[in-house]
Amino acid sequence: MRISVNSWFKSGTPWVWLNAGAVSISVIMVVGLLGLIAVRGLDHFWPATVIEAELIVQDGSQRTIAGEIVQVEHVSAAQLISSGVDLPDDVEFAKRYLLKVGNRDISGSDFAWALDRHMEKQRYPTELMVLERREWGNFYGYLEAVKKDGDIIATGDEAWLELAGLMERVLSIHDQIYDIEKGEIGTINHGIERLRLRERGLALEGDIPPEDAAEIAAQRSEFDAEYEDIQARLSGLYQSFNRDSLIARTVDGQEIEVNLGKVVRAFQPNQMGLIEKIGFYFAKLWEFVSDDPREANTEGGIFPAIYGTVLMVLLMSVFVTPFGVVAAVYLREYAKQGFLTQTIRIAVNNLAGVPSIVYGVFGLGFFIYFLGDEIDQIFFPAALPAPTFGTPGLLWASLTLALLTVPVVIVATEEGLSRIPRSVREGSLALGATKFETLWRIIIPMSSPAMMTGLILAVARAAGEVAPLMLVGVVKLAPSLPLDANYPFLHLDQKFMHLGFHIYDVGFQSPNVEAARPLVYATALLLVMVIGALNLASVAIRNRLREKYKALEV
Amino acid sequence: MVNKDTYSHHISQQFNEELDEVKKHLLEMGGQVENQINDAMESLVEANSELAETVMSNDDHINRMEMSIDEECARILARRQPAASDLRLVIAVSKANNDLERIGDETKRIAKLAIQLCENGHSPRGYVEVRHITGLVRDMLHNALDAFARLDVDKALEVARADQAVDMEYATAIRELITFMMEDPRSISRVINVIWALRSLERVGDHARNIAEHVIYLVKGKDVRHVSYEQMERKAKAD
Amino acid sequence: MTETTATKTQPAAEPKTHAIDMSALNRDNQKLSLDQEEMCMKVDDLSLFYSEKQALHNIQLEIPKKRVTAFIGPSGCGKSTLLRCFNRMNDLVDGVRTEGQILLDGQNIFDKKVEVADLRRRVGMVFQKPNPFPKSIYENVAYGLRIQGINKKRVLDERVEWALRGAALWDEVKDRLQENALGMSGGQQQRLVIARTIAVEPEVLLLDEPASALDPISTLKIEELIYELKSKFTIVIVTHNMQQAARVSDYTAFMYMGNLVEYGDTDTLFTNPTKKQTEDYITGRYG
Repeated sequence: MRISVNSWFKSGTPWVWLNAGAVSISVIMVVGLLGLIAVRGLDHFWPATVIEAELIVQDGSQRTIAGEIVQVEHVSAAQLISSGVDLPDDVEFAKRYLLKVGNRDISGSDFAWALDRHMEKQRYPTELMVLERREWGNFYGYLEAVKKDGDIIATGDEAWLELAGLMERVLSIHDQIYDIEKGEIGTINHGIERLRLRERGLALEGDIPPEDAAEIAAQRSEFDAEYEDIQARLSGLYQSFNRDSLIARTVDGQEIEVNLGKVVRAFQPNQMGLIEKIGFYFAKLWEFVSDDPREANTEGGIFPAIYGTVLMVLLMSVFVTPFGVVAAVYLREYAKQGFLTQTIRIAVNNLAGVPSIVYGVFGLGFFIYFLGDEIDQIFFPAALPAPTFGTPGLLWASLTLALLTVPVVIVATEEGLSRIPRSVREGSLALGATKFETLWRIIIPMSSPAMMTGLILAVARAAGEVAPLMLVGVVKLAPSLPLDANYPFLHLDQKFMHLGFHIYDVGFQSPNVEAARPLVYATALLLVMVIGALNLASVAIRNRLREKYKALEV
Repeated sequence: MVNKDTYSHHISQQFNEELDEVKKHLLEMGGQVENQINDAMESLVEANSELAETVMSNDDHINRMEMSIDEECARILARRQPAASDLRLVIAVSKANNDLERIGDETKRIAKLAIQLCENGHSPRGYVEVRHITGLVRDMLHNALDAFARLDVDKALEVARADQAVDMEYATAIRELITFMMEDPRSISRVINVIWALRSLERVGDHARNIAEHVIYLVKGKDVRHVSYEQMERKAKAD
Repeated sequence: MTETTATKTQPAAEPKTHAIDMSALNRDNQKLSLDQEEMCMKVDDLSLFYSEKQALHNIQLEIPKKRVTAFIGPSGCGKSTLLRCFNRMNDLVDGVRTEGQILLDGQNIFDKKVEVADLRRRVGMVFQKPNPFPKSIYENVAYGLRIQGINKKRVLDERVEWALRGAALWDEVKDRLQENALGMSGGQQQRLVIARTIAVEPEVLLLDEPASALDPISTLKIEELIYELKSKFTIVIVTHNMQQAARVSDYTAFMYMGNLVEYGDTDTLFTNPTKKQTEDYITGRYG
């Protein structure tokens, strides 16, 4: 027996099993993690049925409640009794629901715990309506009537039909208002701000020449006139936007009036068929990835965060690739190999291990307070004391991350350069090419797959980084996108939103943690997907390059 | 310079053996040919037709040896691509091989004449010269083979010198026999046979000299054919 | 370098004896002799040191123009090192120091005034292992020309075709000039590298064991090519295959332990070498 165990060890089989086991565990963990995030995150957008029941309250009285079941748990009786709930002795475990009851404006809280055994007459009324509002969260209740210009135009079943048409109208007006406010007014504001800076700049240089002053005044009055015009259009739109309202009754009988302008969506989930639900689901999903956030980021979409993340990573790539490649080429090709280069190499490698928050502090101290201030003094004196680059922004965030990831690019590029066979270099040199020509025409193209590998690693690291960004440019809500139609289009000085920070903000800084939790999962899933997409793009480019030079793999 | 140990220091032991072998075979063949010369002369002088028959049949054996040595040379050339002294050795062996075979042919011719002379009865004259020249050419051949075996240039030169002596002896003998034929026309047919035999012996001397020349080519890498003895000596001694 | 072609002095026509045309026989068997050659490069008392270790000892030899000169010798004898001196490839190795001079066209190539890139353009080199660039066949051949700033398509087309024909490769690749050169066979790659080198029309072609990584048939093709090329270029070849040296070269130099042992015409060196070391090496008694 002993011999056979020995030989079993010698055969290497246990080693194989050990390896396979380790790999399997890793795969299971990754898949499990992604699965959990995906299920929790994606589930959020599904229109859950709304339950209505009579809740027996502690003192024996009854109250009608309605809501979506968000969570189900089994709680031990002892625990419940100790928290003051009356339970019969024979009960060991009680089923408890977390209900999303909404109506925060009336009851003060969105969520309520309720024991299954305390909920009597559980039912799913088809008439029950859910309103998604721009303020105060969801409303659950029954539609009583629809009002137009303060007059009731429909009640009962007719009201629901009428509501659909009115909602459509209101939403299209909302889109118009949004476009005007974000687009046209944004452009005018931008123009006025530039005029102001120009005027101030001229003033700083001395007296404003009269022709310039006249020009500025003319332009300003032009802008003002335009603004007046838009303002008039806007107020008209707002009037018609706020024209309609609906009267709804909560399940326990309170009646409230809701202006349709405040409603994003009205639906009756218990009445929806599967097809409708799927349609609704994708509409919600689309809203999530394409809309601005609402209600302190707990509702609406996260588009600015996606946009900011991708833009920042791309900018970082633009900074880090040339910098890292040039550094690696110098270290490997030009520098005399010796103690000094070896030291530099070790230092660079160690930089990769420095905690990222340290980079954040460095970025804040060096880039923003030192470089940014200098830049403001020299190039943007007109805007002072309001800082332009002397404050966290996209440029500094990208640069800080570039600094954070440059060791990865250097190491990968050096690795690639060292793998180019000597014979190819000599072949080029023997044809009368100089060292630079050889590098430029042969070596760099041939090591480009390695550079791409470095960039992939850099992107993977940068896209997931949060801590330093909090110091150098990310905010929880940015008023406008850092790349838009206003000159100079790419606003390097602007602050921006970031998925990683968004997760932190929504999950831990939100006033309404329960409501935000699914969004945390959904955002995390999206972040993983964005990183995955960025990586896949780089991998695709790298594979193309590799294909081109594949026969050189010795 | 090439010396006797030269052929035993190749990295390839196999190659050493092959070269040794082919050289050994050549010398063996040389020994056989020497015997043939003796026997042929014996059969002629003693009118021993039985011995003459043996000589003639032995020639076959010599021919076969020639073929086998040639084959060996070809094999070495193809498989070893010898260069420098090795190449010269193979070429010299191949050529000497050819010369030995021709000597064999000459002995066969002498044996044939011996049989004819037996049938025609004893020749009155010429056997003394035959005996004498035979002794000379046998020594020449022996020395040539010896030179080959020891890669001895001096001995090879000695052979070449001896060839001149043989040529002289041959001319003298022919002159004498012609005189004799003029005196006694009845013996012409028999004496002519003796002259043929002398002529063959002279040819054997030439072949022996050729072998000596091959030895010089082998050792010195110099081509000493078709030149006078003096030139030959000069070339062989020069370094 | 003067462009006068070395016209070899033909021996006076032999009188015709009988039916045999002796002059024809003599022409085929013409003995080459270094004394009669026009020289292209002259190595004058060249010593080379790797740090402290001396790799070449006072080398003295002349390379004849438009002839094939072969360097043979055991591994580590310095033959490749010497070859790499001719276009200063040794500059790329750290700690190499040379003494003495190599004259190309009367000009010392180690002179400070000599631009290394120019020198390498004039003295092309082909390496042991085929080393095509990961580019198309066309671009490989055009590389050296582009380095020189020739970018006109018509000129490039002409020169590429000329070079590929010169390297006996044109017929094999003319339909796939835009394909990646790495997809060719080893022998084709090596001929491509030769084409790439001759495309810039060097005066001297250095071949560093050009066939050692190839199969026998490809080797023969390369050897045939060398024979063709010697009408246009001065060729110096390093090989550890003695038979190859014997087949392709006009002159052979035998090197041993960093010394030039014997240098002479190939026929003599391979049939009757004067030095014992040479004899031992070429007959396989070395070591």
